[in-house]
Amino acid sequence: MKKRRLPFAGLALSLLLASALAGCGSSGSDAGNAAGAGADKPAEEKVLTIARSSDIGGFDIHNYSATGTEATLINMFNYLVKRDDRGLFQPDLAESWENTDPNTWRFHLRKGVTFHNGDPFTAADVKFSIERVAKDEKLVQNGNYKQITEVKVIDDHTVDIITEKPEPVLLSRLSRIGSGMLPSKYIQEKGMDEFLKNPVGTGPYKYQEWIRDDRLVLVRYDQYFAGTPKWDKVIVRSIPEEATRVSELLTGGVDLAVQIPPTDMERANTDTTASVTGPTTRVTMLTVKSEEGRVTADQRIREAIDLAIDKKALISSIFNNEGIETRTGIVPGIFGADLGLYQKSQYDPERAKQLLKEAGYENGVTISFTGSVGKSLKDKETSELIASMLEEVGFKVELEILETSRFNEKRAAGKTGDLTLIAYGNSLFDADLLFKRLKPDTNFEHPELEKLLADAERNMNLEEREKQFQRVQAIVDQERYNINLLHVGAQYGYNKRINFTPRLDEMIIAEEITLK
Amino acid sequence: MKQFLIKSLLQLVPVMFLISLIVFVLVHVSGDPVALMLPETATPEDHENLSKALGLDQPIYVQYGKFMFNLLQGDFGTSFRYNESALPIVLERLPATFELAAAAMLVATVISIPLGILSATHRNSFIDVIATGAAVLGKAMPHFWLGIMLILLLSVKMGVFPVSGRGTLSHLVLPAITLGTGAAAEMTRLIRSSMLEILGQDYIRTARSKGLVETLVVYKHAFRNSLIPVVTIMALQMSSLIGGALITEAIFAWPGMGQLIIQAVNTSDMAIVQASVFVVALLVIACNLLADLIYRLLDPRIKFN
Repeated sequence: MKKRRLPFAGLALSLLLASALAGCGSSGSDAGNAAGAGADKPAEEKVLTIARSSDIGGFDIHNYSATGTEATLINMFNYLVKRDDRGLFQPDLAESWENTDPNTWRFHLRKGVTFHNGDPFTAADVKFSIERVAKDEKLVQNGNYKQITEVKVIDDHTVDIITEKPEPVLLSRLSRIGSGMLPSKYIQEKGMDEFLKNPVGTGPYKYQEWIRDDRLVLVRYDQYFAGTPKWDKVIVRSIPEEATRVSELLTGGVDLAVQIPPTDMERANTDTTASVTGPTTRVTMLTVKSEEGRVTADQRIREAIDLAIDKKALISSIFNNEGIETRTGIVPGIFGADLGLYQKSQYDPERAKQLLKEAGYENGVTISFTGSVGKSLKDKETSELIASMLEEVGFKVELEILETSRFNEKRAAGKTGDLTLIAYGNSLFDADLLFKRLKPDTNFEHPELEKLLADAERNMNLEEREKQFQRVQAIVDQERYNINLLHVGAQYGYNKRINFTPRLDEMIIAEEITLK
Repeated sequence: MKQFLIKSLLQLVPVMFLISLIVFVLVHVSGDPVALMLPETATPEDHENLSKALGLDQPIYVQYGKFMFNLLQGDFGTSFRYNESALPIVLERLPATFELAAAAMLVATVISIPLGILSATHRNSFIDVIATGAAVLGKAMPHFWLGIMLILLLSVKMGVFPVSGRGTLSHLVLPAITLGTGAAAEMTRLIRSSMLEILGQDYIRTARSKGLVETLVVYKHAFRNSLIPVVTIMALQMSSLIGGALITEAIFAWPGMGQLIIQAVNTSDMAIVQASVFVVALLVIACNLLADLIYRLLDPRIKFN
């Protein structure tokens, strides 16, 4: 008997130690209590909790390219122009605009708008914000704005934005976070570092707290120009692990979770939660190098590659049917889209074999193929399945699957294989952005295509410009410089206590989400 | 003792220098931060402009020279991701990681001490087999799997603990169990073998033969002495807990150093990687030094020279 008592004495000691130490450990932030839709918050406080896969980078809105950062900070900042859920331009901080000449855009600003610190929003803020991103080469968004040469203040509520050359996509550029409006007076007086610590915008929600890689807490801004915001508090949590994100949704810890893995979409449909697939601008495609000296310089080979790939099988077997086949990278909602090429694909392995024979490769031919792993949804699996489909018709595929950073490096150096698998999003909602990559991705030689692209880039006649891009898509489809595979959807899970409709731009706008 | 400390601290200088060189080269060859910062649709021209603006187009030895020059003045550089000075960002993560590591150590201690003693005093019995089996299982279960299983069982099914995040004590329970299980397993085995060795010593036989009650023999004579290697291993385990927090933190969305390092490596954020590796290296060295000190203090047979 005596022998046995001892371990329990040890256990009791350990437990004592445990409770003492646990007391010290509980001094963490109490922000955790506020998490989610649970019952532990005051009934009258309306809190919206959103789970994302990664944290925002910070509050220098001109210095990020991640959709996730913009999707969150859009609740704090405004742009001159915004897009509605159909992708059409609507007034935001600018009430109206016109072209005074092809290089000059005049914007009439909304009156009575204030920043969260009380400063009024004026033309000086527009000049400061836009010239900052247009001129500072260290900012990630600089490439999208350096076309702007100057912002002229006409009066407190009127500005002229002057571009180097005619800029048909200027409104697209101004309706995204890279041109978000910063408080010029606050930043000039207190410095950028202070702004980054205590950011202020003009949006419906103002900054309260940010714990990196944990949560961003925003609270209602009562003086918001479009009326009192719908929620008292918006919490955006960063939960990188997919399974954890889904679990938080199922337990009511969060109201809305983004990037639900396609395989968990079923599981997210319960009595209290639902899953939904929303649109995106992302298209997964193969870019095909077509310069002289490569096997893929021959159009017949490129066409054979396209015909060898069964896109429907790809979508059903790898993406759980959460994707749409397409023959163009410009999907509905993006300027220039050719709907005749959307929701269509070609698959004819017999014809592919015949084309190979016609091109003189009856006994097969070797092509190199660069894919990535962990860069986009199911990228590795997609590349592997495509490689095996190509082998079926007689290609010998040298497939290399690279980690994201290695892939990026090779791609930046232009050293990827004959084929490269990549998923392109379109944050400008304009065909121009995607086709800017056509030359570096494919090295195509096609005088008509080059002229069309150069003309469309500067054409201020939108109808004509749209036709030019449609012609571009017809040529790219005919020549198979890009072989489009599928239009990717965005998967969301949400608590049934809210009304949520996904947007094409994948922004999570708290003002558009309501309690049932 | 003073001399011992000074000597240990001096050894730090070449170690830290070597670590910083290795990390610099590894991060540099592993990826291009500019490609990760820009969107997919960026043109080669955008890429070139940003590289130039950030000074990343210069040869690696020039970049390293600049980095070392700043480092000697205590400046790790600016994080690409956060656009802020790197060291404060790393330091602000320490409390969360310490909290998790301490809680995990507590879990490990609470499990391993009774289990280790039980299996030693009941050697080759049923209890011993179960305890040893549990220890092997505890060591074999990956953090990743255990964490997700705990969430599914205790949070989703039973609703006892919150799924993720940091805040109240209940947020700490699941990550602490996940992280502490592996350490518990190792410590159980160690306590068992250490106890067994000591229980076979002459002085234990003497204690028993002079008629002391078994509790006193085991507790006062055996357990105390078996603690010497255990305390040492606890200090060493602390450093591996800080390292092991990498995966556990990601699963439970715990805002500590682990998540910071993963994100920084993924984005090739050199300044953060350097600063955090530096801090972790210092912590590990400190833990080892502490283990050394405790060992010398507990065991008078070892001198400070």
